[in-house]
Amino acid sequence: MSFETDISRIEEIAQKLNASDTSLEESIALFEEGMRLAKALEKALAEAKRSVEIVLGDDPREAEITVLQ
Amino acid sequence: MDNLLATELSVSELTSLIKQTLEQGFYGLKVTGEISNFRPSSSGHWFFTLKDASCSISAVMFKGSTWKVDFTPQEGDKVTVTGGLDVYGARGTYQLKCDTMEKSGFGQILAMLEMRKRHYASLGYFDEKSKKAIPKRPLRVGVVTSPTGAALQDILNILERRAPSLDVLVLPATVQGEGAASSIAKRIQQANNLLLCDVLIVGRGGGSIEDLLPFSEESVIEAIHASEIPVVSAVGHEIDWALSDFVADLRAPTPSAAAELVSQGYLDYRNQVAHLHVQLQRSIENRLLLAESKIRRFDTKAMEARIGSIISAKEYLLANAGNTLVIAQKQLLKSYAGRVELAIRELQALSPLAILARGYAVVQNQEGKLVASRKQAEPGSLLTLTFTDGSRKALVKE
Repeated sequence: MSFETDISRIEEIAQKLNASDTSLEESIALFEEGMRLAKALEKALAEAKRSVEIVLGDDPREAEITVLQ
Repeated sequence: MDNLLATELSVSELTSLIKQTLEQGFYGLKVTGEISNFRPSSSGHWFFTLKDASCSISAVMFKGSTWKVDFTPQEGDKVTVTGGLDVYGARGTYQLKCDTMEKSGFGQILAMLEMRKRHYASLGYFDEKSKKAIPKRPLRVGVVTSPTGAALQDILNILERRAPSLDVLVLPATVQGEGAASSIAKRIQQANNLLLCDVLIVGRGGGSIEDLLPFSEESVIEAIHASEIPVVSAVGHEIDWALSDFVADLRAPTPSAAAELVSQGYLDYRNQVAHLHVQLQRSIENRLLLAESKIRRFDTKAMEARIGSIISAKEYLLANAGNTLVIAQKQLLKSYAGRVELAIRELQALSPLAILARGYAVVQNQEGKLVASRKQAEPGSLLTLTFTDGSRKALVKE
């Protein structure tokens, strides 16, 4: 799942939650789904899991890459 | 002056004459030389020597002028100063008192850059329509800069804070001096050849105009122009510029700003998700409040009150109906009573007793039978005579 589709899904859920014809049971299920997605997204966006690397060597046709210290 | 040869002078008089001659004769000068023995004083004045290959001259620049110079002179800097000569009598020395200072050749560099800028502008290198969009949420950011510079640290820090999941690839380059331009250009080409990233930051921290020159070199301009990967130019401080700023797809005022620009999409996402998070909570709260308010109509107290009010209304109706019944019954009884009285009166009119009142009497024998004939009343028999107010016994004589 991409950020895009996840965010659109949360937006859709928020919209449905605000609609008066959504039943209470449905609302609670939607809410739980939305919160799960939101928390997962927040975690994914805030979690430091990047790699920082540096190119070694000067050859423009190949690049040896190593982790930046 | 004519009789100077014949005059005996004191040191002060001579010094005064020299001062007059030098200061009035040498003003409005423009002198180019190399800075040497630079000694800034704690009071803000600059003392230094200006020299060239064979000569040197003491120079001073007072605080009132130094603040207008936008760089701090370094040993060996070639500068052009304006000013005049100044004689310091107490020591018998003369020096160059500087009013302005600029790096020598500054004007030529600017003129050269301006010419080059016009040249590339005429080739359409700076056209807005040829600029590529910077991806909103790149997956890997390439940074062409010095691996040891403060600019790289700034970029890494900002990216970590704003988009901690975004990968970074450093393409180390020499960013000033000999070979810098070709080093920068090669890294840009390398990133493109191997498609190492989806956005490139090309830049360095602040420095003198000469320090920034590699970013205005033709090889760098060509490399940026040819780059398939969108390029953000981030050279020096806000006030600095290089031709890379014009040819790049986006100009960032500083390396930090470039990091902010490429991570903006992630930050927007984080804000959007946080906002949605709050919105979800608010929506479900509202939804629950609504449900609760619907249920509240059925709680014990409210039900009691409602049923109580229904019952009391019925009770009232019932009480009312009872009343009506009693009244109706009373009326019925009253009408019966009237009818009974009437009947009694009629009966009374027909009663034999009423006849007795007019002087008649009922005659009965001993057995209680009515005696209606003389034959039934034998002499010597005992009869009962009933009058209207009671009875008497009578003996038949004949």
